[in-house]
Amino acid sequence: MSVLDDILAGVREDLELRKLAVPLAQLQERAAGQEPARDAWAALGGNDSPRATLAVIAEIKRRSPSKGELAQIADPAALAQEYADGGAAVVSVLTEQRRFGGSLADLDAVRAAVDVPVLRKDFTVDAYQIWEARAHGADLVLLIAAALSDDQLTEFLELTHRLGMNALLETHTKDEVHRAVAAGARIIGVNVRNLKTLDVDRTVFAPLASLISSGALVVAESGVRDADDVSSYAASGANAILVGEALVSDATPRERIAQFTAAGAAARKNADAGPAAADDGHAAVAVAANAAADDGPADAFLSGAGSAGAARGTPSLRHAPGPYFGAYGGRWMPESLIAALDELEDTFEKAKADPEFLAEVAELNKNYSGRPSLLTEAKRFSAHAGGARIFLKREDLNHTGSHKINNVLGQALLAKRMGKTRVIAETGAGQHGVASATAAALLGLECVVYMGAEDCRRQSLNVARMELLGATVVPVTNGSQTLKDAINDALRDWVANVDSTHYLLGTAAGAHPFPAMVRFFHEVIGEEARGQILAQTGRLPDAVCACIGGGSNAIGIFHGFLDDPAVQIFGFEAGGDGVETGRHAATITLGRPGVLHGARSYLMQDEDGQTVESHSISAGLDYPGVGPEHSYLADIGRVSYEPITDAEAMEAFRLLCRTEGIIPAIESAHALAGTIKVGQRLTAGKDNPQETIIVVNLSGRGDKDVATAAEWFNLLDEQSAEAAIGKEGEQL
Amino acid sequence: MIGANISSKSAAAIDRAKEQGRSALICYLPAGYPDVQASIDAGIAMAANGADLIEIGIPYSDPVMDGPVIQAATTEAIANGFRVESVFDVVAGITAATAGTGVAVLVMTYWNPVLRLGVDEFGRRLAEAGGAGLITPDLIPDEAAEWMTASDKYGLDRVFLVAPSSSPERLQNTVAASRGFVYAVSIMGVTGARTAVSSTAEKLVADTHAAGAERVCVGLGVSHADHVREIAAYADGVIVGTALVSAMRDGGEPAVAALTKELSTGLSPAGKETDQPS
Repeated sequence: MSVLDDILAGVREDLELRKLAVPLAQLQERAAGQEPARDAWAALGGNDSPRATLAVIAEIKRRSPSKGELAQIADPAALAQEYADGGAAVVSVLTEQRRFGGSLADLDAVRAAVDVPVLRKDFTVDAYQIWEARAHGADLVLLIAAALSDDQLTEFLELTHRLGMNALLETHTKDEVHRAVAAGARIIGVNVRNLKTLDVDRTVFAPLASLISSGALVVAESGVRDADDVSSYAASGANAILVGEALVSDATPRERIAQFTAAGAAARKNADAGPAAADDGHAAVAVAANAAADDGPADAFLSGAGSAGAARGTPSLRHAPGPYFGAYGGRWMPESLIAALDELEDTFEKAKADPEFLAEVAELNKNYSGRPSLLTEAKRFSAHAGGARIFLKREDLNHTGSHKINNVLGQALLAKRMGKTRVIAETGAGQHGVASATAAALLGLECVVYMGAEDCRRQSLNVARMELLGATVVPVTNGSQTLKDAINDALRDWVANVDSTHYLLGTAAGAHPFPAMVRFFHEVIGEEARGQILAQTGRLPDAVCACIGGGSNAIGIFHGFLDDPAVQIFGFEAGGDGVETGRHAATITLGRPGVLHGARSYLMQDEDGQTVESHSISAGLDYPGVGPEHSYLADIGRVSYEPITDAEAMEAFRLLCRTEGIIPAIESAHALAGTIKVGQRLTAGKDNPQETIIVVNLSGRGDKDVATAAEWFNLLDEQSAEAAIGKEGEQL
Repeated sequence: MIGANISSKSAAAIDRAKEQGRSALICYLPAGYPDVQASIDAGIAMAANGADLIEIGIPYSDPVMDGPVIQAATTEAIANGFRVESVFDVVAGITAATAGTGVAVLVMTYWNPVLRLGVDEFGRRLAEAGGAGLITPDLIPDEAAEWMTASDKYGLDRVFLVAPSSSPERLQNTVAASRGFVYAVSIMGVTGARTAVSSTAEKLVADTHAAGAERVCVGLGVSHADHVREIAAYADGVIVGTALVSAMRDGGEPAVAALTKELSTGLSPAGKETDQPS
């Protein structure tokens, strides 16, 4: 029997006692009441590009089987505070009691003391312990490959991610590293202590670390005595070190952590610059090789990321920087506009890194738009979606009534930074036009909105709104007189007035930097939604749904969940009269790649490459193109895109009005109709459908659509003025 | 220049004008406006009345660099049933009728129709029809890898655009990627007749020459002989579009022929001297 087996036997006995004292249901309730888990992945540098730092996971440990008593640690909270002050990225708390002298009480004390992510370090053999970790406020759990089967690894990882936490998956051998990578671990520990002999052999680290080619973070465990050890691990590919003994027995742990961090960063810098670039180099090569074999996401991401530096070791889908998303995106634009795009990109990149700008955006989001928007559980609507629990992300409650305000405030601030005095915008439903006119009024900019003449008729109230806000609305009579033609005219205006004018594009499409920039301003939707669903249910949802025209509200909410493999993601396109009729706007479902409005993406086009007119009851989805990032997410299979017909959308529209007292935008009704389908699919044959959780982005409110809806449902007296508006779109 | 060993039909046509002591005249009309045969006949008429290069546009659903006159014409062409492959018939028709004159026939197209047919296939068929190359208003060299390959393979010119807003680095790169000539847009704007030609054009041409371009031609807003005269003083070629499309709309082939003849009077330096006594 190895030492590990011995420890595990004790852990199981203690676990049975705790299960009797605190039933799982009670733990789950406690977990639901916790603040959402902190992002340990980010804290360890997972999103950094390149990964130039070395993070310290500082451990609170009283004794160990190999060394016996290490330290008394009468006040673990105070020690944790020391660690955090010294710059520890994560504090680890041993909770095993028999061999390590830890407890859940230690975990509680540390959690209450520090803001950095906390690792609950124990020997996980049961899902109960993962719930227990979350219930006690942990953000990270330990899984030991040697103690778990492949099925358990997969199951425990999935549960951990579902609860919004991360797992440190500890390995000791080549075989265990392969198993960890295959299970999809995002943070892999390499423990250089031999489990049978308890001996430390630092030389095993580099060869094992070199096998981790999936883009996972690599943590060196055991054997850290001094800064030289740290440098050596960092140079061999460690992104983080886990260190306990050297800290608990040190009189000045704070200084020691700062010293380790500095030594690690220096070593990583040197390793990166050298010819045998340790971890990033091999990771990039290996990822590319893997992906070439299976045509997986990493390949498309790498090939598309433009600079190798941006992509190295960053498998995250949440922050794709453009200009390319796989084979999509780019700049298919007249040369006359390239200088303006360069200026915009430069201004945006600087602003994104400027705390003052970010504070300005946050302040407007909070005190002008009314963020955070609510997450409302739709309890009566749920019965129509198979009984799944449905949560509405209430972008309809933002000032101006839709998600559009997030993007326009950000871009209008950028326009001012560039010294532009005039903004132009296109609009379909009028929501983006109203939002642009609003931002322009707020910030003192001149505003001209291009709107298809057909849309002006369909959305006459919004035309009046824009004019009330001081904007000039220009009806566009070219082509199909809808959104795409409005974009064409806005581009013509921009070419002619680029010195004074910023083109405030309203969706996550167009030439670089627009897709990545518009997503950036809408990321707040997904970030809020993720935190809110964790706070309200204690776990991540099974599915996230949104409607797609160009795709800005969708990419905003998807951003929060793209890196959570347990969350299925759905985008719903406008199916119009039905995709078989040819009268629709289901670009990804039926289109093929082409270039329009500056980006390569899926496109509704005929055999000659002429853009085909789209059709939808929803002006905001009536667009024959789609943002390039969505095309990429469709190709790699991360997001499923499905069409919803006008009739299905209007039925969902009616349902939400009647069951929840909320009138949605017809755009958002497409997402609701999709949610009904997804809910029914995910709960089929399940005894407890309420265990299925779906978050849907309610991207806008339906006030603007009342005439269209009243006409659809035959609610109007044929002679009434409203009927005339609904039918013929009398211009106000 | 890349692929400098490939002989350029456009460059030859411009050089022929230069040997005659004048700038070249480049005349634009859309294919299929009002129908395919009419556009062939009008192209032949332009060549017979002083055009050195003919630029045939492909009508496209989303022409973001075009003003109302050209938009209306191309929309009508599509409504009349124009198919992209007909452009090869138009090019072949004009090149056959002008064989031996040295007139070059280029195609001006937005990029998606080329992508849809296939870049290589488009190049193959354009070369087969006797075309000189492509002018690409929404394709910048940064995105043109596929077209660089195909144009080298089929010996076609690739005419990219430069604008008053182009940075010195971009001018260099665009000049290096171009073959035949470089298209300088005279103003920040879309196509359309204007009363005056902007003074920015002259500086742009000088900068583009300085960046290494042998031949720089100016377009956008050129509508009568005085404009031609003004630009011919500093550019290797003058491009006229909207004015010819208006003539086609209002008076058909005879009007196009007459306007071409009038425009060509602005080309020679002699004309300039008589018009602008010092």
